[in-house]
Amino acid sequence: MRRIYLAIFCFSVFLQAVSAQQNKTKLFSVNFQQATISQFVNELESKSSYHFYYDPALFDSLRVTLQVTDKPLGDVLDLAFKKTAFTYAISRQQQVFLTKGRQIKTELAPGFLQAPGNAPPTQTAVADYTADVERKVPDATTENKLYEIGVKTNTIKPGKAILSGYIRDIKSGEAVTGASIYVANTKTGAATDQFGYFSITLPRGRQTLLVKGLGMKDTRRQIILYTDGKLIIEMQEQINALKEVKISADKIANVRSAELGVTHLDIKNIKQIPTAFGEADVLKVVLTLPGVTSVGEATTGFNVRGGAADQNLILLDGATIYNPAHFFGFFAAFNPDIVKDIELYKSSIPEKFGGRLSSVLDITNREGNKKIFTGSAGIGLLTSRLNIEGPIIKDKTSFIFGGRTTYSDWLLKLLPESYKHSQASFYDFNLGISHQINEKNNIYLTGYLSKDKFKLNSDTAYSYSNKNIVLKWKHNFNNKLYSVISAGIDRYQYDISSTANPITAYDLGFNITQSNFKSDFTYYLSNKHTLNFGLSSILYNVNPGTFEPNGVQSLERPDQVPTEKALESALYLGDKYDVTDNLTISAGVRYNIYNYLGPQTINNYAPNLPKDAANILDSTAYGSGKVIKTYSAPDIRISARYLLSGDMSIKAGYNTLHQYIHLLSNSTSISPTDIYKLSDPNIRPENGDQVSLGFFKNAKANTIEMSVEVYYKRLRDYLDYKSGAVLLLNHHIEQDIINTQGKAYGAEFLIKKTEGKLNGWMSYTYSRTFLRQDDPNAGESINQGKYYPANYDKPHSFNFSGNYRFTHRYSVSFDVAYSTGRPITLPIAKYEYAGSERVFYSDRNAFRIPDYFRSDFSIIIDGNHRVHQFFHSSWTVGVYNITGRQNAYSTFFTEQSGVISGYKLSIFAAPIPFINYNIRF
Amino acid sequence: MKNWKIWMLAVMLAVACKKPYNPGVINSPQSYLIVEGTIVTNDVTTVKLSKTVNLSSATTTNPVTGAVLTVEADNNSSYALTEQAAGTYTLTGASLDITRKYRLRIKTADNKEYLSDFEQAKATPPIDSIGYKILSNGISIYANSHDPNNNTRYYRFDYTETWKFHSKYQSNYMSNGDSIIARPQDQMIYYCFANNTSSTILLGSTAKLTQDVLYQTPITQIAGNSEKIEIKYSILLHEYGLSADAYKFWGNLKKNTEQLGSIFDAEPSQISGNIHNIKDPAEVVVGYISSGTVQTKRVFISNQDLPTTFLTDYPYDCGIDSDWYDHPKTHINDVAVVLIPKQEIPISAFSVGFAVAGYTASTPACIDCTLRGSTQQPDFWKN
Repeated sequence: MRRIYLAIFCFSVFLQAVSAQQNKTKLFSVNFQQATISQFVNELESKSSYHFYYDPALFDSLRVTLQVTDKPLGDVLDLAFKKTAFTYAISRQQQVFLTKGRQIKTELAPGFLQAPGNAPPTQTAVADYTADVERKVPDATTENKLYEIGVKTNTIKPGKAILSGYIRDIKSGEAVTGASIYVANTKTGAATDQFGYFSITLPRGRQTLLVKGLGMKDTRRQIILYTDGKLIIEMQEQINALKEVKISADKIANVRSAELGVTHLDIKNIKQIPTAFGEADVLKVVLTLPGVTSVGEATTGFNVRGGAADQNLILLDGATIYNPAHFFGFFAAFNPDIVKDIELYKSSIPEKFGGRLSSVLDITNREGNKKIFTGSAGIGLLTSRLNIEGPIIKDKTSFIFGGRTTYSDWLLKLLPESYKHSQASFYDFNLGISHQINEKNNIYLTGYLSKDKFKLNSDTAYSYSNKNIVLKWKHNFNNKLYSVISAGIDRYQYDISSTANPITAYDLGFNITQSNFKSDFTYYLSNKHTLNFGLSSILYNVNPGTFEPNGVQSLERPDQVPTEKALESALYLGDKYDVTDNLTISAGVRYNIYNYLGPQTINNYAPNLPKDAANILDSTAYGSGKVIKTYSAPDIRISARYLLSGDMSIKAGYNTLHQYIHLLSNSTSISPTDIYKLSDPNIRPENGDQVSLGFFKNAKANTIEMSVEVYYKRLRDYLDYKSGAVLLLNHHIEQDIINTQGKAYGAEFLIKKTEGKLNGWMSYTYSRTFLRQDDPNAGESINQGKYYPANYDKPHSFNFSGNYRFTHRYSVSFDVAYSTGRPITLPIAKYEYAGSERVFYSDRNAFRIPDYFRSDFSIIIDGNHRVHQFFHSSWTVGVYNITGRQNAYSTFFTEQSGVISGYKLSIFAAPIPFINYNIRF
Repeated sequence: MKNWKIWMLAVMLAVACKKPYNPGVINSPQSYLIVEGTIVTNDVTTVKLSKTVNLSSATTTNPVTGAVLTVEADNNSSYALTEQAAGTYTLTGASLDITRKYRLRIKTADNKEYLSDFEQAKATPPIDSIGYKILSNGISIYANSHDPNNNTRYYRFDYTETWKFHSKYQSNYMSNGDSIIARPQDQMIYYCFANNTSSTILLGSTAKLTQDVLYQTPITQIAGNSEKIEIKYSILLHEYGLSADAYKFWGNLKKNTEQLGSIFDAEPSQISGNIHNIKDPAEVVVGYISSGTVQTKRVFISNQDLPTTFLTDYPYDCGIDSDWYDHPKTHINDVAVVLIPKQEIPISAFSVGFAVAGYTASTPACIDCTLRGSTQQPDFWKN
């Protein structure tokens, strides 16, 4: 733009300047009512030989209302541009240059033309329409166009107004989540929520908005803000996707947001990480993040900052997923073609989430394409997937459907005879429908179904299944207030059956069903305060175990642990307060109320004695729906950010959390028979708090992000189990539970390079997690009541994940993971006692398995990058665990011919090649 | 295509593998003191001292000899134990006051001194009865006991079982090294007595009951085809009253050590008890010394009282050979080759005409019951 001005300027200095008076022979009579610049200019050009030169984008806000008779052009223009920043210059060649702010000099002699009235606009009474006026919301697609927001007035009233709206993908119409909007050169900014919605308070008048979104081309919009108003911004996808690798939602969000310990990953990043079977895996990527560990390979669970595996709330579009893995944990239960992005909250957990102690993993699925039908498919060695999406009503309603299945049975058939009768299969389906009722109302429906079945080398068949459905309704009350109301049902069940021996054939079932209701409100109170408030309720229905004989011959005695019911409700209020440009405080409280409901029979134990069968005083039977026990407690969530400079900030946070549902698992790795238990009068809710501090710095134009975070966390009433506890079909589970206290602390170092040929991240984490069981009433103590390392305590952990792009079509990914081996308890000696040989165990977790090391490599070959072609294809070829290191997964000891020997079990103990073919259409 | 399949198979097999794992520590030279015993006020007190051995070691016992053990009462009286066998120390003939508290002091030969916590001697109520239930595949023996004062609450049992059995064949001849002679009455090896002590920890608790009544506490099970009940079986049951702490110790020990770990097993925890090194309280000592009276009861179970469907399985495969002085076909002197050197034992003689031509015989395992027991009838035995 500047170059055009310059050209015009240079050109104009060679003009023979003429005085405006020489043209006064030509007089104009015109009558304009709200005429645009082109109407205005066309009219004048048609009545004379003048030629007008101007930039339409600069003038698109101008409306001319003017009635003159027989006036020279100069007077007409003076009147038309009165009280505006527009000026004009008329050359001797009857050329008229319309400019804004700066007047073009048509000759060298200065001062010939007086710039017309640049006096400040006088205050005039203008109606202030702060109310949300119904009008067509412009789709702002062009960078150079000037968009007018609100009710246009000739003069702009000083002060501030609220701009709200949506950011969408221009191609699919999908919401762009986590995009940031801010005004150049100020620190005012906002980010879009999961619906692409934003609301920002800005000074009225002309503004340039900078818009950045994940995987989107940076863009800007020019607006004139008259009063409160709306704007829909459409962004273009970064087509040259290989060029950009963005890990955070916004290049500066890591520095500017008030939150700590939050990681946002886009599916594009997830897809670059090599996995064992070549299919992008959401959960495996989570494991590469600092502060996240697991007990070993191929496990469902992950541990965040010292928390147990059941202390993570895993949400798929708001639906709680109880078992997020397929095939013994080899695959995540999330379809990489449907997932849009994930967000992991390790420290600053927003008030709207609760019910788990350690983290929230919020997985968001894509919305279907609202404009055209598209789809994708992927073929791997063990799994295939397909997804289709498209509009049901163009620009209003869309659907997305994805399915995955496995065909691994062929592989099992190749195994030796004794394994031949093994079977394993799974599938999952996702369905998402989004519908825009009108400007103010949107509804979203998400459905998820997954099922796993396996029968390995024995006649015992296992199966488990997740079923979820959520309906969300988003309503905008006005620019400042909107609500999301959702209701859903989540179900998880498993079943184990055996038919090997007709006499002992059985069928064992477990299931949990929860019905949710949630309402979240966001209120942009002012440009300094954003309020979040709402309430949620979850009704749990747990069937802890039903054991039945299988077949007529079976002599098994039926058994059923009585079903459990509870209601977990919460009310929350949070405020994000921008105290100054540099200081932002986010503070909130979430009040939890938990009711354990009847029908149930509760054992009453003698106080201050171990809860065991010996100490049951009596039991009380409660009727259906009766509130047996109520636990209530507030959760506090506070975090603050102070900007030290534009690309450097320091943050601190404190939060407390409560958890009312517990996974019962006393084996090292999560096994298929683990069950969930609700807090009851004898099992207190778990609770914990965490304080954290972080330092964030960006370098090289925000392409390198660095952060250091330290945290200290306490866990209380964490569940551990007595030795030899039997968890399944246990009618008195409280007798086998020990309340344990925990502490965890650590430092996480992360450096990310987000752009360039080489991009990726590298993290080092030093973290410790200790548990202590010192409850004198527990009946037994572990390690004499001293602190001992938790199963997933891995002090040193290093991860590197990098991608190097040779050309736009070829890129290679390489990653390395190292961590200290996890602690184990080993038998260290044997002795004879009470008539038989017994083993002597070390202190709990006194030893460690060997350190873990793995490196993987993959090549991604993209088809050509032409935008317009019927389908795009890509290949992913790679090797998992290149060095073939036999990392120990588990160790165990068995007696064979009188000698006790140790064994270690390794999974993926050799380099594993993989290949995957993907198409997009 | 075929190569590809083989390659895939290799991949899959590589996915998981089980390898021997020796974390090194298993052969750690560190060993811990093990103390097993009860201060018995109304009978012989026996304490066994040993040390743990390496897991890979072939032996399981490592007795601690030469230690000085004394039982101390809270009225400053003390009683020294004497070492009866390697690592086994006993106190006999002392009458200990049931109202006192007792502890055990151990001074080892390497000058380490250990002391157990004082424990109130506990009066154990008598065993009311021992009975058995007949199951489809065997019998289950149980005990009943009760404390009218409701004081005992926690119980531990151990037992010695003795049974009379016979070998497969009854031998009437034997080798004296030179020739086959008629077996004298005192050399009969058909009927024997065997015994065994309990190898699992047996506990009972009435803590949750309104009355201190132990009803049909399971003691042991005997399979219907076991030799133990082919003629007559006897069990001598010892009952010890325990304190709550002692009960907890035994319960932990049972849970932790009666099953060896596998992948999905619960995590083990360490056992300690009430014995401490005086100078180094952190030293791990396994054992719990409690004190009190012991109650014993013996019952007999006769095969005649058991279902006739219980058929004994002889533990070895047995068959009868014929050993000739002059084998009709091979002309080998089987008697000299097989019977005289006692490779087989003669059962009875067979004759050709009036002359003994040889003996039926079988392997010692099928004939000699002393291989698994003793012909000596115990004093308590009632036929």
